[in-house]
Amino acid sequence: MTQVSGVQPVFQKTFARMLYPAVFAVGLFAILPLMGMLALSFTDFHLVKPWDREIGFQNFERLINDRRFVNSIYVMMMLSVFGVIFQVAMGTLVAVGLEKIVPRWRLMRGVFVVPFVVPAIAVALIWLSLFTPTLSPINAFFDLFGITVPAMLTSQNGAIAAIVIADTWASYPFVMLLILAALQGISTDLDEAAAIDGATKIQVFFRITLPLLLPALLMVSLFRFIETLKHFPLIFVMTNGGPGRSTQATNYYAFIQTFQSSNVSYGAAIAVFLFLFAAVISFYVARSNARISDA
Amino acid sequence: MKLASSLRNGLSGLAILAMSPVSALAEDLNVVLFSMPYTRGLAELEADFEAKTGHTVDIEVVGQDVFENRITLSFTGKTGDIDVVHTPVIQVQRWIEAGWIQPITGGVNGMEGRDDMLAGPLDAYLVKGDYYALPFFAETGMMAYRKDILSAAGYDSPPETWEEVLEVAAAVHSDDVAGAAMRVAPGQGFNMFVFPMIMRAYGGTFFADYTGGDLTPNMNTPEALAGLEVYSKLMNDYGPDGIGNFNFGEVIASMQSGKVAMIFDGTGVAAEAMDPEASQVADQIAVAPIPSGPAGRFPTIAVHGLGVPADAPNPEASFAFIEWATSEETLTKIALAQPYADFTRASVAQNPEVVAKYASIHPDFLDVRVQMLGEAIGHYRPLLPYWPQMGAAVGEMINSAVNGIMSNEEALAAADEEIEAIQADNQ
Repeated sequence: MTQVSGVQPVFQKTFARMLYPAVFAVGLFAILPLMGMLALSFTDFHLVKPWDREIGFQNFERLINDRRFVNSIYVMMMLSVFGVIFQVAMGTLVAVGLEKIVPRWRLMRGVFVVPFVVPAIAVALIWLSLFTPTLSPINAFFDLFGITVPAMLTSQNGAIAAIVIADTWASYPFVMLLILAALQGISTDLDEAAAIDGATKIQVFFRITLPLLLPALLMVSLFRFIETLKHFPLIFVMTNGGPGRSTQATNYYAFIQTFQSSNVSYGAAIAVFLFLFAAVISFYVARSNARISDA
Repeated sequence: MKLASSLRNGLSGLAILAMSPVSALAEDLNVVLFSMPYTRGLAELEADFEAKTGHTVDIEVVGQDVFENRITLSFTGKTGDIDVVHTPVIQVQRWIEAGWIQPITGGVNGMEGRDDMLAGPLDAYLVKGDYYALPFFAETGMMAYRKDILSAAGYDSPPETWEEVLEVAAAVHSDDVAGAAMRVAPGQGFNMFVFPMIMRAYGGTFFADYTGGDLTPNMNTPEALAGLEVYSKLMNDYGPDGIGNFNFGEVIASMQSGKVAMIFDGTGVAAEAMDPEASQVADQIAVAPIPSGPAGRFPTIAVHGLGVPADAPNPEASFAFIEWATSEETLTKIALAQPYADFTRASVAQNPEVVAKYASIHPDFLDVRVQMLGEAIGHYRPLLPYWPQMGAAVGEMINSAVNGIMSNEEALAAADEEIEAIQADNQ
């Protein structure tokens, strides 16, 4: 057993014991249901139909030929990629602004965190009304100048953009908080040295701050990416998956299969796909992060 | 010793945990309902039932999403912990197929005041010769319109056909006030609650011959197309901006804020749209029957009732509760205490206090409702175990058509394909 340097073996045992509740909780509430889901995905369990106990890969074979599933991956990727880009860009800008440009405003950070604590359903309802032209103050404002703001939620790209906007509003504070923490770990000496050498603030940001933030940016992007794979309340409340089927992301499609069509085992197969997808992405991001940190 | 004492502590902790459900089990009857004015009103009358029957009862009213989880767990786990369950007619076939609900035919046939119960809603629960629930809620279709806007355009009475609706909508539509609004958001309870009113009025049907038992998908027909064209045109040309994503909430809010001239929806939506406390234009809103088409008039209908789960331990006591909860006395009390005009007994509609209460919303309200209920067909949305799935899929196609993602023809052809695939999947 490798020892943590400077720690007595007797304390090590105590520390190990402190982990037991966590291991127990993760096993009971994460690993066990995950195994259950995996097992279900190989059955043909249906809520309403009798179960003929066929075991095999039939649900996964069906996935490959399911156009709705393929479309759902497209929707999911659009929501995730654009969501992460905007959230990370905005969160980073606000964090750098608070930390470097106007440090006096640092106390204001609480204000910027407000959207993060609004419950997801409330976020969805707020943005649903903002995107409903007859109810929206935004439309009412532009109407004063004779400008008609187009309805977002009635076209595929518009609806995806609307969900990305709502998600960005609710989630950029998470990015901001993590980047603020990372910024505080970067010594100001570097900025000062660069300034003495005649670098502008913009140059300092792109040549010094940003490269040093890269590991943090990668990790926060990964967190947000995994989180955006789980889109549900915004879709459920804002679009019901519409117009047509154009905002049925994979997670939402798993819900439809499980609860609307009672097709529990097929829903589980979709969820298994989502899990593997997130796991593979996490693995590669974590590995490249380790490389950057080592470099 | 140490182990024994910690075991003992642990066990007593478990015992305390185990005690907590005891308070719920101590009731003779557990009733699980989802929140609507009637169920909230019923929960306040627990003491009435206990005084009348001597049974104690716990009425649990939860949100609809929680309800679905709660009953799915209970039914699939066969826990027998629910004695009476909220039974929407749209789900009852699925529940029967899954063996989750038991017939109450004997009780229904032997109960007092059966003839007073509205036949349409009651028969919606008659499946293969057995009754599965007693209805407490029957919502039907109703049109609400702005008298001032229509008369300014020269129309002193509301349109009576969908053809006239298009004409009136064209005449009154402006940048400030849209001609008409309906639900368009996809869903078996959203656009599929209202679209069949138009489709059926033009002779369109979901199946070749539903009542005769021929369930060949039949939406790709000139009749259904005529209906879909009217719906698409009415929404796209004369609906408010963004109508393609409107659900009932947006329909109500647009009418309340004076931005729409006519809406076609359920009685509950009409009542809310003209609620004087919420609407700036309530005094200008009147109600009228749902318009008709070449094939007749088809007001929407939604029925909710109370049923007995298959594994309920004491079916007689469960039925006693249902009989009390849908009795004239109970329905009248709730109709007076709550915004609940969707009662299921003819006698309640004649109660002077109830009449006075709903006449104050609009003098014609109860009359139009009774007329529409009389004309509604029980299988407006087909009563099939796979309807929830099918209604969702068809609703997505209809929504695609209105939003221009597909043409009307493509959407109806796709709807037939979807129905066929769902039928194959459910065999």
